[in-house]
Amino acid sequence: MPQAAGGRGRAIPSLRPSQSRFMADSYCVHRIIEDPEWCLIAVPPLTELCLQHIVQNFTNNPVLDRLPPEDQRKVLARLPTGLPLTVTANLISDEDYWKRCCTDRWQVCDISNHGGSWKRMFFERHLENILKCFVPNTTDPDQVLELIPLCRGYVRKLEVDQFLPPVKEDQKEERDDLSDSGSDLEFGEVCIHHYDLRALVPALPLLEELHLTYGVKECGMNFEWNLFKFTYQDCCNLAAAVKMCHNLKIFKLTRSNVDDDKTRLLVRNLLDHPSLVELDLSHNLIGDKGARAVSKLINCSKLEILHLCNNQISNEGAQALAQALAKNCTLTSLNLRLNHVEDEGGEAVGHALLTNTTLKSLHLGGNRLAEPTALVFSQVLTQNSTLTCINFSCNPIGPDGGKQLLEGLRCNQILTEFDLRLAEVDEESEYLISQMLWANRDAARLQPLLQQPAEPL
Amino acid sequence: MSRGAGEESAGPRWRMPGLDHETQPGSDPAEPGPEERIAARRRRIAARLDAQRRQALGEIEEPKEEAEEEGEERSSHKQVEESRQKLAKLLFEGTRMVTDIQVAADLRETQRRAEQAQLKLQRVEKLENEARSSADKFEEITSKWALAKKMTVPQELWQLLNQQQQLCTQLLEEKNKLIGELQQELKNKDEQYVQTIKKQSDDIHLLLERMEEQIRMMLKTYRHNVHQVEKAFELERRELLDNNRKKWEEAIQALNTKELEYLHARVKKVEEFEKQLNQLRVQYEEEYNSMKIHLETDVQNLERQLQHMKAVYLVNQEKLEYNLQVLKKQDEENTIIRSQQKRKLNRLHSLLSNLRTKLVKQEKQFREENQSLAADCERITGQCKEVQRRMRHFAASDAEKFMKVWLMNEEEAKGLMRKALDADRIIHTQQLGLPWEEPHYWFLNNIGPFGHYKAKRMATKLAAEVLTESTSGAQEKKEEKEEVGSGEGQKENTAKAGDTATPLQNISRKTAKRILELVSDESGFLIERKLLGPLCALGKHERTLLRLDSIFSALEIDSEDDLYQLVDFFLKYKAKEGDLSQSQGSPGGEDIADLGEDRTDGESSAQSDELKSSQRPLDSLLSVCIHADDVLKILKAFVQDFHKLREEDSSAKEVLQVRDSSKDGEYWEALAHVIPEPTLKLWDALAVALEEYYNILTRRANLLAEAAVLQQQNSELSLMLEQFITSGVNSMLLSPPVHQMDLNLPCPEEPR
Repeated sequence: MPQAAGGRGRAIPSLRPSQSRFMADSYCVHRIIEDPEWCLIAVPPLTELCLQHIVQNFTNNPVLDRLPPEDQRKVLARLPTGLPLTVTANLISDEDYWKRCCTDRWQVCDISNHGGSWKRMFFERHLENILKCFVPNTTDPDQVLELIPLCRGYVRKLEVDQFLPPVKEDQKEERDDLSDSGSDLEFGEVCIHHYDLRALVPALPLLEELHLTYGVKECGMNFEWNLFKFTYQDCCNLAAAVKMCHNLKIFKLTRSNVDDDKTRLLVRNLLDHPSLVELDLSHNLIGDKGARAVSKLINCSKLEILHLCNNQISNEGAQALAQALAKNCTLTSLNLRLNHVEDEGGEAVGHALLTNTTLKSLHLGGNRLAEPTALVFSQVLTQNSTLTCINFSCNPIGPDGGKQLLEGLRCNQILTEFDLRLAEVDEESEYLISQMLWANRDAARLQPLLQQPAEPL
Repeated sequence: MSRGAGEESAGPRWRMPGLDHETQPGSDPAEPGPEERIAARRRRIAARLDAQRRQALGEIEEPKEEAEEEGEERSSHKQVEESRQKLAKLLFEGTRMVTDIQVAADLRETQRRAEQAQLKLQRVEKLENEARSSADKFEEITSKWALAKKMTVPQELWQLLNQQQQLCTQLLEEKNKLIGELQQELKNKDEQYVQTIKKQSDDIHLLLERMEEQIRMMLKTYRHNVHQVEKAFELERRELLDNNRKKWEEAIQALNTKELEYLHARVKKVEEFEKQLNQLRVQYEEEYNSMKIHLETDVQNLERQLQHMKAVYLVNQEKLEYNLQVLKKQDEENTIIRSQQKRKLNRLHSLLSNLRTKLVKQEKQFREENQSLAADCERITGQCKEVQRRMRHFAASDAEKFMKVWLMNEEEAKGLMRKALDADRIIHTQQLGLPWEEPHYWFLNNIGPFGHYKAKRMATKLAAEVLTESTSGAQEKKEEKEEVGSGEGQKENTAKAGDTATPLQNISRKTAKRILELVSDESGFLIERKLLGPLCALGKHERTLLRLDSIFSALEIDSEDDLYQLVDFFLKYKAKEGDLSQSQGSPGGEDIADLGEDRTDGESSAQSDELKSSQRPLDSLLSVCIHADDVLKILKAFVQDFHKLREEDSSAKEVLQVRDSSKDGEYWEALAHVIPEPTLKLWDALAVALEEYYNILTRRANLLAEAAVLQQQNSELSLMLEQFITSGVNSMLLSPPVHQMDLNLPCPEEPR
């Protein structure tokens, strides 16, 4: 027994010399008989050799489907990650392979952002990279178009946070900051449209999410206003592309200098979109007209979530939105952070919420809301039974407004989050409010627990 | 209510979590006091709320509630709830802390924007002011340019120009100043921008720090809580285990005691049973012994019997063996026989089947044959009948022919005979000169063959004869005699024919007549109506005759025989009736049978002759007695019997017509020898003499003929000579043949 064990143990170290023996001359070969350490394990089976060959020639002759499952696994484990996508894209569905591809290529891989699929992640990020590095008029558009048939079955989400402008005497224009800021509008008319998404987006039938930012990342000291120019033509192209993309659910266009006209253009194309659920236009330049357009969109689509934070919406725009909100029955979340809504708009929104029964979350932080709005919202809190989350942070509501809100909250058992930080509310009421919120939260937590045992009865 | 109380009690202890990093209360493990208390309180509140809500829901859930309360009391659940509360709180605080930065940034941004807006307003105002003032100044300058045009004095102009220049520089300076200010502002802004960027990066760093810290803390607290929860669970489990073990041990103890009790009881029972067993054993032993003795005797008896039986068995066995062997042999034999029989049976079966097939074939064949034979038979019978018919026909024709031939030959013979007789007479009278007497032979008068019946008279004729007989009886008798006389020579040949006639003839003419008259009178209905009229005109005799004629035609009585039969029938009938009436005791049936026989026998039997002869005297007696009323009955009976009779007759007739040809030879011989032997001898001698005479005569005749021929030749030659002489040829010849010719030729004519 110990001898056998020893022999078995020695079999593994004997691999090395036996491997070297394959390349050795005949002298070594005839010594096989004499070699006491030699054993059959050292000889790789023919299947192994075949698989090795398949792996080596996979580019020319991709044989995978005809292999038995075990061999398929072996081949996939050995395939190099640098194989051309034309070979692998539609042939290999094995997640391990694509995981290897992803990890080889990117250091950080968060698979949860891509629906838990490594393949999807690979193609989405690959496409994103290409789009990010696409320079109009210089890069070959076929580079993208060639990729479409390969990735059309996998890409569901596109997150492009950079669009490069066409190369145009960038180095020549070395001007001062002064002249730069003044002249960028004039120059903007002449140049430069970004990559036209109309060629790509409709060709991806599964696309559900589109996150776009028209700008250049890490420009550093090469900053130019032109780099962040979102032209009207770009907007037209984008709007047309989005209109043709019927499965789109989430559309985000942030930090792209979208002004009222462009908003209207976009909204016009998004009216009656069959599946759009979330629209994010935050960090733009949308004014009251744009807000009015968006308010029109609210009632002509299935929109549930709307982000308009960090724009220039003032009371008129807020009133328009409030009007829409009063009639609407789909929107569940509205974000108007960092706008100029002020009390008039806030009151309007509050009045709308008296009748609205769908909105659950409302963000009005940083809108210079004062006591009158708080007064309206105390009434809202008593009457509304759907609103669960309100954010009034960074508003000069004042201690009286805080007390009003506290009074309103006493009769409410639904609200679970009520942000009143930096709202000049006195500590006591803030504390009481937080107490009540905790109670509501507990009730909300127990609600399903109570309902569950009640069901069998 | 409760909430309010809680708030009040908790109110003073609550510390507002500050924005700053230092003021955060997140270090839970360090100071768990207040939070835990809060959590406990909150839990109590929640429980109370729950209870209230459940009460509101109804009492139905109370048992469950109790169970839940029971469950809630468990330490582990308490621990879980506690940790959950703690963690939720921590999470909330953590997120709050993280978002605090954002909120602060937002606030700063809003403030900045507000400032910016304000500054912008100020700047715009400033710029506007500046623009206004500079415009004023520019206007001033331009207005002065107009003034300058009016200037003619160079110094003034120069002065003015200097002023203008100063003003312009002022304006420019102001502008430049503004620009500088603005640039300064811009620089400030840039600095601010850099600062904000720095601040933001700081914020982000802070954010990251906080996030990391929170993550760390969360991990720690989570781990801690998990640990605690686990501990609590373990504790609970241990408690439960202890409890269970205790229970278990108690139960086991109880079990042990119980088992002990059972064991004791069992032991007792065992002892009792043992005692009983002993008792029983003793009892059974005694029984056993007695039984044993009894059984042993039995066994001995049985053994004896057994031996006996064995002996018997042996004997039987031998017998049986023998029997068996015999039977085996028999069996073998039987098997052999059986096989043989089987074989035989098979053979016979096959034979049988063969025979059957043969039989079937034969049957078929025979049937066919039968059919063919039947057909043949039919055919042959048909042929036979045909032949018979033909034969009859031929017989008739033969008879006729025979008759004719006979007659012809007879005539011829008679002619020859007559010739011979004539010749004889001539010879006698002329040649010999002897007187010749004609010989009388019986056959000379015979005409026709001997067997030939005399032609039957018709019934009516006979009837007429019978009727007329009364009037001319003698004449009739004569005729009859003649008839008989004519047939005298034949004697026996005609005996039968005579027989037939004799009975009728024997029946007294009177009776016959009377019968006929009766018939004609009584069966007038048979006469055709047409005849009745003309009948009246005739005389009595003729009338009866005609009547009889028509009656006979109706009764199909054609021939003489029929009439005889009719009359005979009448007589017999009468006789029978008379017998019946005279001797009732006598067996009339026999008579009738006799009568039938008689009738069948017909006239040929001698017996009938006797009968009839015996009846004859009766006839005369009875003839009178025939009553007119009976005529019809008799006629009826007669008509019924008549057809039978007729058929018999026809068959009888054919038989009768075979004739006897024995006498023919004699007859013809007699005919041939009509010339007697001496005459013939005479003739021979005469013939010889005549021959001689004839020869002489013929010689003479020949000579005469020769002479005649010669004479003729002579005459012919003389004629030719004459012709020759007369013709010129002779002259031309040197020596005319006339000279040489004998001119005596014409002499043959002379003898003639």
